[in-house]
Amino acid sequence: MNATILKLVKDARAAMMLVIVATAIAIATPIFLTTGNLLNIVLASSVVALLAAGQTYVIILAEIDLSVGSILALSGVATALVLQAHSVFIGLIAGIGVGVLAGLINGLLVTKARMPAFIATLGTMSVFGGLTLYITQGNPISVDNGLFLDIGQANPLGVPFPAWIVLAALLCFGFLLSRTRFGRHIYAVGDNPEAARLSGINVHWIKISAFVISGMLASIAGFILTARLSTAEPTAGMGEELSAIAAVIIGGTSLMGGRGALLGSFIGAILLGVIDNGLNLLNVSPFLQGVAKGLVILLAVFIERNSDVMQLFWRKIQKDPVGRRFPEKPVPDEGNKQKEVRY
Amino acid sequence: MRLELQDIRKSFNRIEVLSGVDLSVTGGEILAIVGENGAGKSTMVRVISGAHPPDSGQILIDGEPVALRRPEDAMQRGIHVIYQEFLHNIFPHLSIAENLFVRDDEGRFGSLFVDKRKMRNEAMQVMEQIGLKVDPDAPAQSLSVAELQMLEIVKSLSHNIELLVLDEPTAALDEKEASRLFLLIDSLKKEGIAIVYITHRLEEVMRIADRVIVLRNGRVTLDRLTKTTTASEIVAAMVGRSLEDFYPKESHVTGDTAVKVSNAACADKFKDLSFIVRSGEVLGIGGVAGCGKGEVLRALFGVNPLSAGALALEGRTVEVKSPKQAIELGIGYISPDRQAEGLFLKQPIFDNVSIVSLDEFVALGVIRSAEEKERVEAVVKGLNVRFIHRDAEAGSLSGGNQQKLLFGRWMMKKPKIMLMEEPTRGVDIGAKAEIYKLINAQAKSGTAIVLVSSDLPELIAMSDRVLVMREGKIVAELSGVENNQSNILHYALGSNT
Ligand SMILES: Nc1ncnc2c1ncn2[C@@H]1O[C@H](COP(=O)(O)OP(=O)(O)OP(=O)(O)O)[C@@H](O)[C@H]1O
Ligand SMILES: [Mg+2]
Repeated sequence: MNATILKLVKDARAAMMLVIVATAIAIATPIFLTTGNLLNIVLASSVVALLAAGQTYVIILAEIDLSVGSILALSGVATALVLQAHSVFIGLIAGIGVGVLAGLINGLLVTKARMPAFIATLGTMSVFGGLTLYITQGNPISVDNGLFLDIGQANPLGVPFPAWIVLAALLCFGFLLSRTRFGRHIYAVGDNPEAARLSGINVHWIKISAFVISGMLASIAGFILTARLSTAEPTAGMGEELSAIAAVIIGGTSLMGGRGALLGSFIGAILLGVIDNGLNLLNVSPFLQGVAKGLVILLAVFIERNSDVMQLFWRKIQKDPVGRRFPEKPVPDEGNKQKEVRY
Repeated sequence: MRLELQDIRKSFNRIEVLSGVDLSVTGGEILAIVGENGAGKSTMVRVISGAHPPDSGQILIDGEPVALRRPEDAMQRGIHVIYQEFLHNIFPHLSIAENLFVRDDEGRFGSLFVDKRKMRNEAMQVMEQIGLKVDPDAPAQSLSVAELQMLEIVKSLSHNIELLVLDEPTAALDEKEASRLFLLIDSLKKEGIAIVYITHRLEEVMRIADRVIVLRNGRVTLDRLTKTTTASEIVAAMVGRSLEDFYPKESHVTGDTAVKVSNAACADKFKDLSFIVRSGEVLGIGGVAGCGKGEVLRALFGVNPLSAGALALEGRTVEVKSPKQAIELGIGYISPDRQAEGLFLKQPIFDNVSIVSLDEFVALGVIRSAEEKERVEAVVKGLNVRFIHRDAEAGSLSGGNQQKLLFGRWMMKKPKIMLMEEPTRGVDIGAKAEIYKLINAQAKSGTAIVLVSSDLPELIAMSDRVLVMREGKIVAELSGVENNQSNILHYALGSNT
């Protein structure tokens, strides 16, 4: 019974933390649960959610992508510049093209050039970020393409356009990860690359694909952010890579690779958004928001890493209230006992 | 020392793995523990080592109850364990000497800076005691599995030791290495050390153990002096029935040449190798560790491609540069190291089996999971894999059941050419017979099989023909009555023995 509860706490910790935090904020301030505010949260979380989706693929492979914030800015700027002379469609292609290319570079550095992902993407983060600043000379690029701005402000069925994109990404990439051969190969390579190679999986190609997906989702985030704000900020997305990684970890994906799921990362992104929003509503100093987020990350990882210790502890305080060394024989509860499958 | 376990119980996820185990072992005694895959042997080892404290029951040392809550507790009392998956304890990039003394609690080699020379010399000394001739400065990864195994034992010898537990130590060893291990165990016994020895090989039990315990479904079903029992009594206690027809060899060789290897070489592993395998044939390759037999399979499968020579499949010359290519050409390979190169331990049990066959039930890249489940279930049933839930991680299976998954993976794929190295490593007797039947069935359907095994009875009984290798060359081809233990050993060790 308690073991089951603890397992649930471990598996669904992001969702449970989200419920607890949201309930607490809702009790503290009535504004929190208004439709307008909830949509605000979704909107504010959409960038991190998209980055986290790509990051999930990369982290399941036991790699990391620090460059997504810079890719977001670079492709946002690319879109804005192309829009000055071309249609929205061409602008979208240009933005996504930049993201795909950047992801491809990351992937090639990690596989063919055999660089550790942390170092490679730290480098490209600086390169892409620097390029963005150089191209724009540090100034925001404004866009006056009417259709583009309309897309940014669109509210189909009363829900802002970025939220729809996030939903679509969750469905597509969640499906890709959990139901397809490609997804299986991602988990296999993340778990044991050598065994994957001996199973006929092209390990390099899988890794490159994951970095390309990460870069592409970052560029889509750049596109919707630019459309929303009607300008491309050269410093947009700065630091968002860390929020994205945090969302993935809160969502239960293991940095050691081989384990994780997309839904958790989305919940993690929303949780971070809820905390930001709640603390704003409660007029907590913005300087303390970082502290709060940090604590949530620590708590999530703590639960993951210590669920077995907690289980032992739990059992101990139950069976062994006075701290005797040798607990009495437990009463066998045959009724509850699962049967082992034996073929 | 006398170690006693009384009514030990242990469950994982509410499923009882040990249901009241009693056992005792005394200094100077060798206690063998046998039982089917998943019977709970390794779990008991982890109870003794403090890695998995029991849910209930008592552990007594010399009559005193003790609590072994962490591996350190057990080590302090002189209990040392060589785990079934001991390769996890090796640091592949550190030198052999560093691996030996990685736990230098007493600060024998200096507390801040390590006295490398002293460490090197001591490493030489302990290794000499057991006849391990290797350079202590070489990285540990340069050793063979057998040598690493010895290294692990030497490691525990460098501490105070009263009880040594060995979990399937000979699974990876050939005859010669195993004999060396037995000599070592015997000398430890004479020094008054208690030894717990887990194995699936009954002839070893009869040869070295004083007493044998059979575990079945987490209970002790037999506890006897080896002098007063027989192999068939042990088997009956293990599986609940008697087993005959252990190596049911059938021959299905046809005339067609499926694989032709000519003048093949691979770096410094082997050279000038030529042989053929017919379809339906099981070709065995024997030889001592380091003779290059395993390397031949790895080269044919494209893990370390051939550096010279030619490979022809059904008369067509091909070049295999990667495992992916090999699989596409209809070749399969079972690696001898299931954990490092075979399984995906964090993935669900079923995914481990289907991974190379996904193409067969994929439409536009999407897996038809009902079909997958059905196909894997059939394979897993045939191999008697024991598991709690099919979504459980493969790493939660017992060693032998993990091996069955790896075998099952290729059963499902049904390649035209099957290369297998130690396919039954760690598998219990009943399941071994099952695997032999499956190998026969594969041969019958026309598959050409190359079998590398350090288990001589297995090699001899399963193969239509045996090639013996020594120092990277084929030195003999044996078939019919010539295919016997003394001939293989004769050629494997060189003419002077
Ligand atoms: N950490 C774990 N989590 C869940 N189940 C486990 C765990 N360790 C072992 N088991 C289960 O306990 C049972 C006994 O496993 P154990 O490893 O003790 O078997 P064994 O007798 O050593 O078998 P083998 O001969 O195959 O090595 C198996 O059914 C296994 O799946
Ligand atoms: Mg075991």
